[in-house]
Amino acid sequence: MSGGGVSGYAAIHAKVRAMYSNLLSVSEMIALADSPDFPALIAALKRTGYGSYLNQVKDKDLTVQHALFQIKRRLADAFNSVIQMTPGAVRPLLVQLFRYYEIGNLKAVLRGIVTGAEWDRIEAVLYPLGERTVFTPQGMLESGNVAAAVELLRGTSYYETLSFAMRRYNAEQSLFPIEVALDLAYWRGLWQESVQLAGQDREQALRVVGSLVDMNNLIWAIRYRVFHHVSEEELINYTLPFGYHIRDEDIRAIAAGAEIAPIVRRLYPSISDVDVMLEDPRSGLPLLELKLKRHVMERCMAAFVGNPFHVGVALAYLVLHDLEIQDLVVLMEAKTSQLADEQFRPYMIREIPV
Amino acid sequence: MFFPKAMTEIELIVPAKDLLPVTKVLSGHGIFHQSDSSYSYPGAESEKGASESWQNKAAAFAGLERRLQLTMQSLGIEEGDTPASDFETITDPSLVLPEIERIELEVKNMNDQVVTTQKNLEGLHAYLSQLESIQDVPADFSALRDSKYVYSVLGMIPAANVDRLATSLSRIPHVFLTLRSEPQKKVVWLAGAQANADVLERAVRSSYLNPLSLPVGYKGTPAEIIKSIKADIRQAEENIVQWRKALSSMAVKYGEDLRALYWQIHTSRIMSDAIVRYGRLKYTYVIVGWVLSDELEVLVQRLKQASHEILIETFPTGRSGHHRSVPVALRHSKWLRPFQMLVTTYARPRYGELDPTWIIAIMFPVLFGAMFGDVGQGLILAGLGALMASGKVKALKGMAGLGGLIAVCGLSATVFGFLYGSIFGFEDILHPVWMSPLHNIMQILTVAVGAGVVLLNLAFLIGIMNNAISRDWGHLIFSHNGVAGYLLYLSLLALLAANFLPAFPIPASVVTILAVGSALAVMLSEVLIHLVERHRPLLEGGLGTYFIQAPVELFEAVISMLSNTLSFVRVGAFAVAHGGLSSAIFILAGLAGGEGGIGYWIVVLIGNIFIIGFEGLIVGIQTMRLSYYEFFSKFFSGGGMRFEPLTLNPGDKE
Repeated sequence: MSGGGVSGYAAIHAKVRAMYSNLLSVSEMIALADSPDFPALIAALKRTGYGSYLNQVKDKDLTVQHALFQIKRRLADAFNSVIQMTPGAVRPLLVQLFRYYEIGNLKAVLRGIVTGAEWDRIEAVLYPLGERTVFTPQGMLESGNVAAAVELLRGTSYYETLSFAMRRYNAEQSLFPIEVALDLAYWRGLWQESVQLAGQDREQALRVVGSLVDMNNLIWAIRYRVFHHVSEEELINYTLPFGYHIRDEDIRAIAAGAEIAPIVRRLYPSISDVDVMLEDPRSGLPLLELKLKRHVMERCMAAFVGNPFHVGVALAYLVLHDLEIQDLVVLMEAKTSQLADEQFRPYMIREIPV
Repeated sequence: MFFPKAMTEIELIVPAKDLLPVTKVLSGHGIFHQSDSSYSYPGAESEKGASESWQNKAAAFAGLERRLQLTMQSLGIEEGDTPASDFETITDPSLVLPEIERIELEVKNMNDQVVTTQKNLEGLHAYLSQLESIQDVPADFSALRDSKYVYSVLGMIPAANVDRLATSLSRIPHVFLTLRSEPQKKVVWLAGAQANADVLERAVRSSYLNPLSLPVGYKGTPAEIIKSIKADIRQAEENIVQWRKALSSMAVKYGEDLRALYWQIHTSRIMSDAIVRYGRLKYTYVIVGWVLSDELEVLVQRLKQASHEILIETFPTGRSGHHRSVPVALRHSKWLRPFQMLVTTYARPRYGELDPTWIIAIMFPVLFGAMFGDVGQGLILAGLGALMASGKVKALKGMAGLGGLIAVCGLSATVFGFLYGSIFGFEDILHPVWMSPLHNIMQILTVAVGAGVVLLNLAFLIGIMNNAISRDWGHLIFSHNGVAGYLLYLSLLALLAANFLPAFPIPASVVTILAVGSALAVMLSEVLIHLVERHRPLLEGGLGTYFIQAPVELFEAVISMLSNTLSFVRVGAFAVAHGGLSSAIFILAGLAGGEGGIGYWIVVLIGNIFIIGFEGLIVGIQTMRLSYYEFFSKFFSGGGMRFEPLTLNPGDKE
């Protein structure tokens, strides 16, 4: 246990357990899904762990966007709290995991620059990272162009990646190469931090992080081939050669044009209807992604069983919290658009009977 | 003392003419937490202009403040402390703008030259580092680039992409060489048949291999180009030194002016930001916020001095009920701050909730001391803590906040050291005032569990009190941390006691009835709480799910009561382990040399350092666990809003 074993994890484990028990229970999730409309959903959410965050905003100001912002603050607080208490050796892994949201913010700002969006609009979609961020989104947006914004990142870990991608941005005037470069650098960084650990920490981190890598890598590979029609060499360069379950050979087979369904079926025998989903990728791929997320959720829940003195418990809790928020996003959008149960419940990661 | 500072809601109606003096009073003392009343009193359409004007001013001040900070940063000027001189009014942005622009322009011109030249310099260095890897090649790479049969790329690639690029080209013949390696990037040369140029090009592009481009104006072999670039670098560096000297002179010339302007703009920005959030009536402004009740009288007097026509309404806020919107100020003395930090790391108490800082200030050191009882090691820990808290050692400055906590824990360990008769691990020098844990194992473990029972009783009672204050009657009576849960806990304890003590005064039947009754109340708590709160539906998720869930939750509640209690056995176990670890060190010391020899004392010294560092840390974590998990989780829900007063001086904030 590179991070500190029983002594290093006693406090963090206690805290994470307490925080884990504050995630939404099945009955709470059912109550939320049963809410007749958005105000009722907010009222129900206020009775949960999200209450103290939602109560900070007046009811009349609680739009979907505002409510989501408040809800995400809870995850940001959870990250800060867990990172603070985690043993030093494994802390970089959690910090890197948290960077996922910073990269999301970075992409949002760059898109804002390209579309000429006002700061107010961009601010509303940014993740509330507090002080744990290495760049000032407003300054970047106000710099007016992508090149100047990237210059403001000098000295951060993003600069090197972006300076390579900028050449292609300048030539193609598309954010695609920048976003791909950021994603690849992020997942490589996360994998690297996991691989560097030892013993139980390494094993558990690879299990949770590896499941996330698998999901992203597989979905990327399918998307690049089916929707973007990229060549074999491009697909290989836009994906990752590692994962928990998926091997490089699988990705290379997809890149080389092999049939995708048998590969997915072999990798995930528990996922049903793979052929049906891949027959119509426009509607099927989101469903496959959803099932992969459920698979990640199961892996995370498994981290709470057995010896708890490793980083897997903290990692799993943070991923589960993120998945819960993804479900809340679905719920809020469904309730605002007054969708019928059968139109949104199948798209929730946590399975709620219709 | 036991609750967050008392707050009073204050509502002010201020004539427009007194707007600035009143704002100055509110923002100048760090005691007023503003609420946004601009939504409730947006003002009539005719007054919109005035509101917008303040919004524009606030935006203008924010912009000017940022510009000034940038200019000061370029000149290396610190903002300094709040100036002692008083300010009278909010300054007019248009009056200070010409002065700011004049200095800014002068600084910017010079700074831009430095920045541009530095950027060029970086470019030249980049070219140089690329070329150095091929300086021995006596060829012109443009010839390879224009080859008819060979597709060739010389360029830079992120180090992480090299293997992937090689993989992506595995199906076509190619040559791929790394010419130079740096941690983040590599200079590589890739060549293949022109017939495969499309595949190679796609691979190069998708792997972010950026072809190396030579700077315009440089010709010849790599060695010749390197020579010319080096000459240009020397010239650019000399220029930068000259411009930097000029910037230093400007810093001396404009330093005081810029600092004065900065504070003028900063205070104006804070005040105009506050005014933007005021409500607006026809001739008056409405200001709503919270003030520390202790400071209310002083604030009211100052406000009346600032405006004779001001209308002040105050609403003292009691603790009972729910007070989500009341800000929470925790202002403990310097000695309690480390414990306050310990509490707020877990959560910030709500306004009506007990602030457990005092309790934790007693409980934490006592539990720590009980687990780490040793006179000598405790005194060293106390000294180390005092040194950290003093901030006199530069290397420990970052941990100054923890210093007080460590010092108090060290003193407590010293007291327990006397009680256990242990000094630097020696158990035979001092006579134990109470008992030696190593020789009274069962006794110390029993006392530890007993202390846990007392603390958990306290936690239950505080939880019940918190629920009573917030008038959560349902939770107060039926929840597993309320009266029902407490009765269940007491009856479980009584059942245990009745088994072990034949003379237990309460009949077993009474205790059993009490246990069953309270267990039923806990099991049905969801329905009962909904009934009391008139919440519908009574059951969420259906009857079937509920009847599976309820017994499981009761089982979990009972198990957690028992495990929480037994968890305190670790206090005694660590006290024993401390003695055991010391014995092990003396055995090792004995093996290293006869008693009294140099080897013996070296091992004893290293052993003590190890115990202070390693065991001290573990005991600290265990104490935190007992405080957070076993104690706080019974009564402390937190979620209070932080008290953030308007202030012109950042040092006023909590």
